[in-house]
Amino acid sequence: MQFISELLTRLVNITAVPAMAGVLGTALLLLVSRDWRLNILALAAQYFFVMLLMTRTVRVEMAAVKGLIGWVTCLVFYVTEQQAHVAMRSGDASETLSLEPWFRARLEGWRTEGISAQAAFSFMAAAVVGVAALALATSVPLPEVSTGLALVCYLLSGFGVLLLGLSDEPLRVGVGLLMFLSGFDLCYTALEPSLIVTGLLGAIMFVVALGTAYLKSSETVTGDGAALQ
Amino acid sequence: MIAGLILFLILPVAVGALVYGFQRWGRVVVVLSVGVTTALGVAIVMLPLGRTVTLWGRQIVMGGSVSFLGRDLILEDADRIAIAFLYLTAAAVFALAGQASSRRLIFPVGFGMLSLLSGSLLIRPLIYGVLLLEMAISLSMLALQVEGAPHSQGVLQYVSFSLLAMPGLLLVQWLMDRYAVTPDNVALRETAVALLAFSFAILLGSVPFHMWLPSMADDGDPFASAFVLTVNHGAIWFLLLAFLEAYPDLTTHARFGSLVSGAGIAMVGVGGVMGAAQQRLGRLMGYGALIDAGVGLVAFSVFSQQGLAISLLCLLVRPIGLVLMASGLAGLRALGGRDGGIERLCGVARQAPWSTLAFVAGGVSLSGLPVSAGFAGRWALYRALSPAQLTSALIMMGGSVGLMTGVWRSLSVLLVREDRPSEEIEGAAAAGERGRIKAIVVALFVAASAILGLAPQLLAPIATRLAGLYTFFAP
Repeated sequence: MQFISELLTRLVNITAVPAMAGVLGTALLLLVSRDWRLNILALAAQYFFVMLLMTRTVRVEMAAVKGLIGWVTCLVFYVTEQQAHVAMRSGDASETLSLEPWFRARLEGWRTEGISAQAAFSFMAAAVVGVAALALATSVPLPEVSTGLALVCYLLSGFGVLLLGLSDEPLRVGVGLLMFLSGFDLCYTALEPSLIVTGLLGAIMFVVALGTAYLKSSETVTGDGAALQ
Repeated sequence: MIAGLILFLILPVAVGALVYGFQRWGRVVVVLSVGVTTALGVAIVMLPLGRTVTLWGRQIVMGGSVSFLGRDLILEDADRIAIAFLYLTAAAVFALAGQASSRRLIFPVGFGMLSLLSGSLLIRPLIYGVLLLEMAISLSMLALQVEGAPHSQGVLQYVSFSLLAMPGLLLVQWLMDRYAVTPDNVALRETAVALLAFSFAILLGSVPFHMWLPSMADDGDPFASAFVLTVNHGAIWFLLLAFLEAYPDLTTHARFGSLVSGAGIAMVGVGGVMGAAQQRLGRLMGYGALIDAGVGLVAFSVFSQQGLAISLLCLLVRPIGLVLMASGLAGLRALGGRDGGIERLCGVARQAPWSTLAFVAGGVSLSGLPVSAGFAGRWALYRALSPAQLTSALIMMGGSVGLMTGVWRSLSVLLVREDRPSEEIEGAAAAGERGRIKAIVVALFVAASAILGLAPQLLAPIATRLAGLYTFFAP
C-alpha cells in the first residue's frame, strides 16, 4: 500500500499538466460528442484525471475513493445506455457489439460528413466558457488551491453548466451535473478534507446518476427516446 | 436505551422499504404511510425533551445531542416543530395520493426523503445539512417521474437548479467561519451574503430561476410535485432560518432586506401575470406555489418577529392548498389524458366533481381569498405592509387576483356542458373518481381549509411561537 501510495504521488508530480490537459480534453469530448460509448469512456477517463489532480490537495486514499465513485456512476450510465440501445434495436438482428466496426463507422462518418453544426456550436460555446474560466482563475482565485487547479475547477464547472444548458436528454444532463459537481469537489476538498463530506458528495453523485438513469429508462420504455447516434 | 433522534432517521427508511415491498396491497401502503408519518409527526412534538419514555418495553430518550456517524444531531424546539411539519405534511400528501394510486413511487421515495430532510435539520455543522438536503432533492427525481410517461424536463430542471445552489451554501459556512476570525475583512461577509441570497433564490424558485417550478408541476407526478413544493420547500425554509440563526451577521447586511423583498415581489408579480394566462392546470399549480413562496419572502423581508411569524404561517398552511390542487389535478388528468391542456377537459366537472372541487379549493387557498386557509397570512401581511409599503401590498393582491383569474378560467371550461358518449363518461368517471373515500378525504381537506380561514387562531399561535424561537430579528 505504501509503495502504491508513493508511486501515485510521484505520478501526480510528473503528470500534473497532462492531467489538466486530460480533464480539458475529456470535458470537450463530452460536450461535443453524441456517441454514448465514447462519452462514457471520456467520463471514466475524466474521473481518473480528476483523481490525479485531487491527490495534490488530499490524501491518495481519499482521491481514490472519489475516483471509484465516479467509475461506479460510469457503470450505471453504461448499463442504462446499453439497455436502452438494445431495447431500441431489438428488431435489428444484424446488430453486433464489436468495437472495430463501430470505430470504423465513426471514422467514416467524420470523414464523409465532417463535424455537425451542433458539435461546432458546442465547440464554440466551450471556447467562450474556456476564456471565461481562464479570466476567472486569474481574477477570482480560489482559496487553498493553485491557479492551475482553480482553472480546472472553473473549466469543469463551466462545461458542466454548459452541458446542462445544451441538453435535454436525461443522461447528458446527468453527465453535466456530474461534471459540475466534480469541478466543485476538486476545490472544496481542499477546504473541507473530511471523509464524511467526501462520502456525502459521492452519494449525491450516485443518486444523480441513478435518477437520470431512471428517467432515461422510463423514456426507453415509452419509446420516446431519440436516436442515440 | 434508544436515542429518539436516530429513530427519525432510520425508521422512515425501514418503513419506506416495507412500503415498497407491499405495493401490491394498496390499502396497506396508504394506511402504513399515513399512520407512520402521522405518528412520527405527533411524537416529535409530544415526547418530552430530555426525559426517558417507555414505549412497548423500550426506553426512548428524546432531545439533547446525539452522535451519529461522528457528527452531532441536535434537537432544539424549533426543529421539533419543523420536523413535525414535514411529517404531517407528508401524511397529508400520502392520504390524498393513496386515493389516486398506491403504486406511485412517492410512498417509498417520500420516506427516504423524509429521513434525509429530518437529518438535514438536525445535523451540525450546517454543511452536512446542505448535503443531506441536496441528496433528498436528487432522490425526488424517482418520485417525480410519472410511470410510463416520457421523461420530465421540469424534473431535470429542478434537480439541475437545486444542485447549482449547493456550492454557494457550502462556501457560506467556510466564509463566515473565516469572518469570525478576521472581522475586519468585510469582503468575506459580503461574499457570504451574496452566495446565501443566490443559493436560496435558486432553491426557492425565485425569479429568474423559477422556470423549473411550473414545468415540474406540469409534467411531473402531481403528488410528488406537491411533496416537493411543501415538504422540500419547508426544509429549505428551515435551513435558511438555521443559517441566519447560526450567522446573525448575515441579516445585518444593508442590502439583505431589499434583496429578499425584491425577490418576493418579483415572484408574486410573475406568478400572478403568468397564472392568469395559463392554459394548463399543472402550470397553474406551479405558479400558485410561486406566488405563495413569494408572499412568504415578502413577509420575511419585513425583518421583524411579526414578519417572520406571518412568513411561517404562510408556510404552515401552504400544504392544504397545494395538496388539494395536486389531488384535483391528478383526478382531472385521469379524465383528460396526460396532456393536461384545459381544452381537453371541457365539461369534465360533471364526471369529476370532487377533483374539480379539490382543484378550485386549493387554488382559492393559494390565492389567499377569504374563508380559505391562506387568507389569515395574507391579511396579516397586507396590514403589516400597507402603512409603509402600499405598492408591495397592492402587488401581493394583484398576484392573488391573477392566480384566481387562472383558476376561474379553468373552472369555467370544466363546467361547460358538452355532449359526450355515455360510455366515455362512465369510463372517465371510473378512472377519475374512486368512490366515497376520495370524496371524504377531499371534503375533509376542504373543510380544514375553510375552518383555518374562519379560525386562524388555531394555527397562528404555533407560527408565532416558532418565530419566537429564532433570535436573529430580536432587538
